[in-house]
Amino acid sequence: MSDSNWKKGLREIVGAGQLLEDPILLDSYGTDGYTLEKARPSAVVLPADREQLHAVVSHLYRERVPYVARGAGTSLSGGAIPLDGAVVVHLSRMHQIRSIDWYNRVAYCEPGVVNRKLSEALAPFGYYYAPDPSSQQACTLGGNVAENSGGPHCLKFGVTLNHIKQLEVVWPNGDVELLGSLADFAESVDVKSLMVGSEGMLGIVSGIWARIVELPQSRATTMVLFDDVQEASQAVSAIIAAGVIPAALELMDPLAIEAVERGVYRVGYPPGVAAVLLVEVDGPAPEVKEEQSLITHLLGKFPTRDIRIARSAAERELWWANRKTAFGAMGLLAPRYYVQDGVIPRSQLPSALRKIGEIGEHYDIRIANVFHAGDGNLHPLLLYDDKDAHMVQRVRQAGSEILRMCLALGGSITGEHGVGLEKMEELTWQMSPAVIQAQWALKNACDPEGLANPKKVLPVGSTCLAELSSDVTRVK
Amino acid sequence: MINESCVHCGLCLSSCPTYLVTGVETESPRGRVWLLAQYSSGINIGETGLNHLDDCLDCRACEEACPAHIPVGHMVNQFRIASQTGMALSVVKPLRYFLSTRRGRLRFKRLLNWSRYRLVQRAMSWFPEWIPPDALSLASGLPEKTGEVARPAMVPVKDGRNVMLFRGCVMEAVYGETNQKAYDLLQIAGARVVNPESQTCCGALLYHSGDTQALRDLVLENLTAFDESASGDVAVTSGGCSAFMKEYGDLFSPEDPIYARVVRFAAAVKDISDVLVQLGLPSLPVNGRRISMHDACHLAHAQGIRQSPRKLLQGAGYALVEMPDADRCCGAAGTYNLTHPEMARTLQAYKVSDIPQDIDAVALGNPGCQLQIAAGLNRQGREVPVRHTVDLLWEAYQGAKYER
Repeated sequence: MSDSNWKKGLREIVGAGQLLEDPILLDSYGTDGYTLEKARPSAVVLPADREQLHAVVSHLYRERVPYVARGAGTSLSGGAIPLDGAVVVHLSRMHQIRSIDWYNRVAYCEPGVVNRKLSEALAPFGYYYAPDPSSQQACTLGGNVAENSGGPHCLKFGVTLNHIKQLEVVWPNGDVELLGSLADFAESVDVKSLMVGSEGMLGIVSGIWARIVELPQSRATTMVLFDDVQEASQAVSAIIAAGVIPAALELMDPLAIEAVERGVYRVGYPPGVAAVLLVEVDGPAPEVKEEQSLITHLLGKFPTRDIRIARSAAERELWWANRKTAFGAMGLLAPRYYVQDGVIPRSQLPSALRKIGEIGEHYDIRIANVFHAGDGNLHPLLLYDDKDAHMVQRVRQAGSEILRMCLALGGSITGEHGVGLEKMEELTWQMSPAVIQAQWALKNACDPEGLANPKKVLPVGSTCLAELSSDVTRVK
Repeated sequence: MINESCVHCGLCLSSCPTYLVTGVETESPRGRVWLLAQYSSGINIGETGLNHLDDCLDCRACEEACPAHIPVGHMVNQFRIASQTGMALSVVKPLRYFLSTRRGRLRFKRLLNWSRYRLVQRAMSWFPEWIPPDALSLASGLPEKTGEVARPAMVPVKDGRNVMLFRGCVMEAVYGETNQKAYDLLQIAGARVVNPESQTCCGALLYHSGDTQALRDLVLENLTAFDESASGDVAVTSGGCSAFMKEYGDLFSPEDPIYARVVRFAAAVKDISDVLVQLGLPSLPVNGRRISMHDACHLAHAQGIRQSPRKLLQGAGYALVEMPDADRCCGAAGTYNLTHPEMARTLQAYKVSDIPQDIDAVALGNPGCQLQIAAGLNRQGREVPVRHTVDLLWEAYQGAKYER
């Protein structure tokens, strides 16, 4: 059917003002938190509620128009970039917390609910939603489900997957189905868990029943300052080896420290500090006390500059805000950054950091490191200027090399940011053709027409990039 | 400063009221920075792009959220002035008659003052084509003229710290009693209060019109008024005025001969709540009244003031009941409620529905919000008084026994 007809149908569903067609508006949806590529969607549609969303997907299926769901557009792997002229289904207006079921300890939310807003709404009742991506002040639950997002506190509490009880999914053909259950039992075929982390390739989630948990009775947050990053990473291994699983264990290197200290949440680290380690333990007060003293004892064996314990909730908040705004603060050091999301076994932290340093030197790229040290999830931030074409080239190469190094150390190319359109080639380094084929089979079973988030995640052929869509503008 | 440091992280999105209402990327701070970048690289952003830029409330919530300190509100303002589009053109231009001369400003104040009489309000509604409906609806939020009330007993201070009181124009015309009460509270707190007679408007509205010469004259007038009294702090009862005057330094080049005086003045400007906290008010026993605090954008986001008014109210015996998103813009935003009535009304309704039911008053520290929220409550038939923090404090100290 012709272009104008499918748009007319969408307009009838959502109302004229909620279908964007102006080129300048479309281009503003060309990219998300990953700025190395951009592409123009053929339209942006903003459904108001689940009924409209279901109608939109059914309509796009009838017209065979591809689409991609978007939350806050904070994806770091290009998950929300519309390839193949896909229609952006922007779920930003679906931001209501529908109900809270205290008996089953579950919050029923629309996909556009902002992660942090859910915890804020629960806080007066002594509850919260545990997964806390660093972008939690803006990112949405729908996006969290699509990417199976992690966060600093996922070390102890698990990632998004562990906190989703039930999902309402609209399959690419418009059928709506409830997956999972409010009851706690293991399903023989856990389709709900397949949806979590599927990066929008299997369908769109129109309702989320998220597990809510009680706020910990007690918390202790320790900040440890080191003169040497290597020492800091060894301290991380020592803490885990001693059998303590902190709620969070986060590390920043000198360049990252420089950025956050120029940002909005300045902690005031003493000059020349080479690493900041944040260790947080939580739970029942006696347990916290015991773990805290064990950690302090362990840290005593390392040459630290200073060990501070947060004296108030406000101080703890400041330390976390300082850490969680690290990515955005990179804007103060360079026009752009390219963040990698490699994972390595914890024991390899010291050598991984050394190698990242060497790669940075070799390609003449400044690299800041902010990462979830506890689970070995690295976030090297490669700083660059997008106006320097040669530099962009070097950044891509350096990024790729870091991921090769992660694999060589026995790790993975992605921890929590997803594959998106960024790491399709790298996926072939990690997964055998058979495993990728199996995923294609699943994709085809759910979405035979290939409409949901086209040309993402799964490579076509062995060297996929040659066949990658021509509509992507590679930022030169 | 422009957009160079935006890395597209998106952390600003959830702080933006217009994004909350519309859900559209270009109605978010990240989208506006992107639009400005397109514009400055010569791309035609069209009427839609211009409108989305101009929908910015300048509430500064995103500036507080941005990890890289990108001054999105300031950038949009400068764009409006430079391009003479949107808000700068529609309301501020006509207002220039009133604001750019001393006589005009006096007339402006008198007009505002008259509009507080119910009779005048009724008369205003007879000329619907002259007065936009949203201005009329706002007028319903105006406090009614009342007679004199007994002032708290106090001993005038002879040798306390000097504090000058800045009265503002809308603030003085509409909420003049609040300024009087601020004067009293400063005395209770032990300050020697100076009331510079020749002071004038802060100039925020005039700034938006882009008339830099008139603005310079106005700033000079204030400098002279406050220089003469050679005092310490300049206490301000209107959050919008204090935010603007704290940034006076940005209006002048460091080469300007008056620059040093401007910076000195700007550094002395403080919100009344900060001054009172610093001086210290005597604490009063719990009075059983429940107050919910709305954080004016230009106090919370522009100046980081949230705790001071709360501390004062609690010290004066009030119980605080927090409303959700207390620092989300109420839609007043200077003249925004007249230039963008639809968006302003939506935000007003959001705000009113966030105000808890079982409270005795809403407290705030900015006249624009006070009008807007009072009108919003009226619209929904709710009878919750909307009061300046100073008014509530004054009432608590009125007739109370306390030791200084």
